[in-house]
Amino acid sequence: MNAETSKSGTLGGFPKPPAMVRGEQSSPAPHAASRRLNGAVGMAVFIGACAMLFAALLFAYAVVRSQAASWPPPGTPPFPRGAAAVNGLLLIAAGFALRRARSRGPAWLAVGLGLAALFLLMQASLWGRLVADHLGPGTGALGDAFFALSAFHALHVLGGLVAIAVLLRKRVPGETRLRRLRLATVYMDFVAVVWLIIYVAVCLI
Amino acid sequence: MRRVFSTDHKVIGKQFLFLGLAFLAVGGVMAMLIRWQLARPGQPVPIVGRLLFPGAGGVISPAAYTSLFTMHGTIMIFFAVTPILIGGFGNFCVPLLIGARDMAFPRLNMLSFWTMAAATATLTASFFVPLGAAQAGWTAYATLSTAIGAPGPGQTMWTVAIYLNGVSTIMGAVNYITTVVRLRAPGMDWFRLPLTVWGFFLTSILNALFVPVIAAAMALLFFDRVFGTQFFIAGTTMRAGGDPILYQHLFWLFGHPEVYILILPAWGIVSDLLSFFARKPAFGYRVTVWALIGVVVLSCVVYGHHMFTTGMSPLLGESFMLLTMIISVPTSLLFLNWLGTLWRGALRMTTPMLFCVGLVFTFGIGGLTGLYLADIVADQYLHDTYFVVGHFHLIMAAALLMASFAATYFWFPKMFGRMMSERLGKLHFWPTFLALNVVFIGQLAIGWAGMQRRLYDPSAYDFLKHLLPWNVWISRAAYVLGLSQLVFVWNFFASLRRGKPAPANPWEVGTLEWTVPSPPPHHNFEEIPTVVRGPHELGHPDARALGKDWLGQDEVLS
Repeated sequence: MNAETSKSGTLGGFPKPPAMVRGEQSSPAPHAASRRLNGAVGMAVFIGACAMLFAALLFAYAVVRSQAASWPPPGTPPFPRGAAAVNGLLLIAAGFALRRARSRGPAWLAVGLGLAALFLLMQASLWGRLVADHLGPGTGALGDAFFALSAFHALHVLGGLVAIAVLLRKRVPGETRLRRLRLATVYMDFVAVVWLIIYVAVCLI
Repeated sequence: MRRVFSTDHKVIGKQFLFLGLAFLAVGGVMAMLIRWQLARPGQPVPIVGRLLFPGAGGVISPAAYTSLFTMHGTIMIFFAVTPILIGGFGNFCVPLLIGARDMAFPRLNMLSFWTMAAATATLTASFFVPLGAAQAGWTAYATLSTAIGAPGPGQTMWTVAIYLNGVSTIMGAVNYITTVVRLRAPGMDWFRLPLTVWGFFLTSILNALFVPVIAAAMALLFFDRVFGTQFFIAGTTMRAGGDPILYQHLFWLFGHPEVYILILPAWGIVSDLLSFFARKPAFGYRVTVWALIGVVVLSCVVYGHHMFTTGMSPLLGESFMLLTMIISVPTSLLFLNWLGTLWRGALRMTTPMLFCVGLVFTFGIGGLTGLYLADIVADQYLHDTYFVVGHFHLIMAAALLMASFAATYFWFPKMFGRMMSERLGKLHFWPTFLALNVVFIGQLAIGWAGMQRRLYDPSAYDFLKHLLPWNVWISRAAYVLGLSQLVFVWNFFASLRRGKPAPANPWEVGTLEWTVPSPPPHHNFEEIPTVVRGPHELGHPDARALGKDWLGQDEVLS
């Protein structure tokens, strides 16, 4: 029976936790290690769902692009690639700041928060510039695609930003804090990767 | 306040259940209004007509009719079945059945309910805006659903409501998956899980994967409507644009798994309950589990069968046809296992059992008629007729209604600590079962005769005139179906107040939720049970020595 179940324990792609830990963790004072695994599984599912969301958006973009006679469509002003790239670097830097915060404390957490917030501000100013350059939403297929993808992405960055802000404000025990910090880092890395993909797909190629 | 914003999965489950039942009633009333228009086209609706349609003197106008069938579908799928089965019973059952004290993320669970509440508020508010609620059908096909086809704010609010509904569902999926993966009691291996839990678990996987796809479609539709982008509006040579068919791809990429998202919990519940009330182990438990997994995998690659008439490549269409037909292999296994469970069982025909057997019947017909629609050639004729409507109502409405009622009658004692009346339950079952089969099998027949769906007044067409008597009778059956739900409402609320107090284990079955008092205490289990056997140990020879015919999952034999 045991060999059978350990094989089936990987169903859905999630490794089965060791039996001992699992038994303890639903008791009133949950074991820290098992809590961490709960968070990891939950975050894995959540990131999978978010990835599907962006995959669907990128699929829509790919369809629109493949049906255009030429790309970028004739009459589209040149896209400010540089500014979009700088913003991406901010997001990657935010992820690194959160990594440092694990060992060096809340100051780096504040840096991460600041970098993520700066990313959003820079994105907002980029949108303003795009609208002024006739590359805003509703002006053409390229503007539509960039606006839809980046706006959605920004919303997800905002979600991460809120999580970091809560983490910075709340007084929680060290172990719990570290666990949440890890999850926030994974999430911010995810949105950075998504930005990279959007940048390559929409701005570069 | 602590009771309203509760993080207890049992309270949240009940909140979802009440929300879903309320919207089931709203959607049901809409269905009867639709049936009125089809049977008595252009005549004022009796009793409530002047109240609901004051401008038209009680007559359902074409615009109101379009709104009605759009919102009927939307409400039933997203705001009735989803909250009742997945939100309500999923929340209540999953932790109890696997031996956990609560969900893995109780606060996320609470957030999931309140996001759903916000979605329902948005949807309800959309009835009262200028130009009324959404009118593009529950599928909201572009370009009908873009600002060109639906200029009013109703459709925009619809988009937002579906998006919020999706966010709530994804939160739930994260919770269910983590809970089942991580919080199973010691000894509760994957193949000792009640099939109900398998149903909810697999549904959650599909939810996590495919609800984001409709969220993306809703987001792009929202951008198209509000910011003037053109994802779903065809372009011109001057302006590269989008593609209305793209919307259909995104919608059905989600929409077909959605069918299984809704039916998987029902299949799980029925597989368990048939075994419980046949007093013998579920026939082919492992086959059932693998069949469920097979359906989940296949459901991801068949959505194109909704789009045979969009001019897709015949080669692609044929692949979708083949894959769709292959789904009938695991579903047939499932079906045969149900029959195998019933075969020579010591059947106890309680109300939950009646509804389960009813589900087996309606799902059987609904499933078989699906094969006609999966066939490209037959679908060319049947597409967009009432045959489709009858088919998906037999599966969605009939099967899910049956499963929701079975689950309600079955877990009501555990939820509220009181029994529901068996006599009223049977009085509820028979008219419901008979009437809904008349309605939906009747729809199959008029669809076969060529009546298209979504027609305001079919009798305006000469070739459909002879179907009016059919529509009259289908509508009469629909009113019977609607009215017999009053028995359920009465039974539900009367039992809530005056029902016989429920013992811990009124149905004499062995799954973990029946080892705790009814209703369960706040943290469910005094001590986390250790599971030693599967969920269906009924008619067990070892139990005879104990003077009963079943063994609990955590019962240690000395």
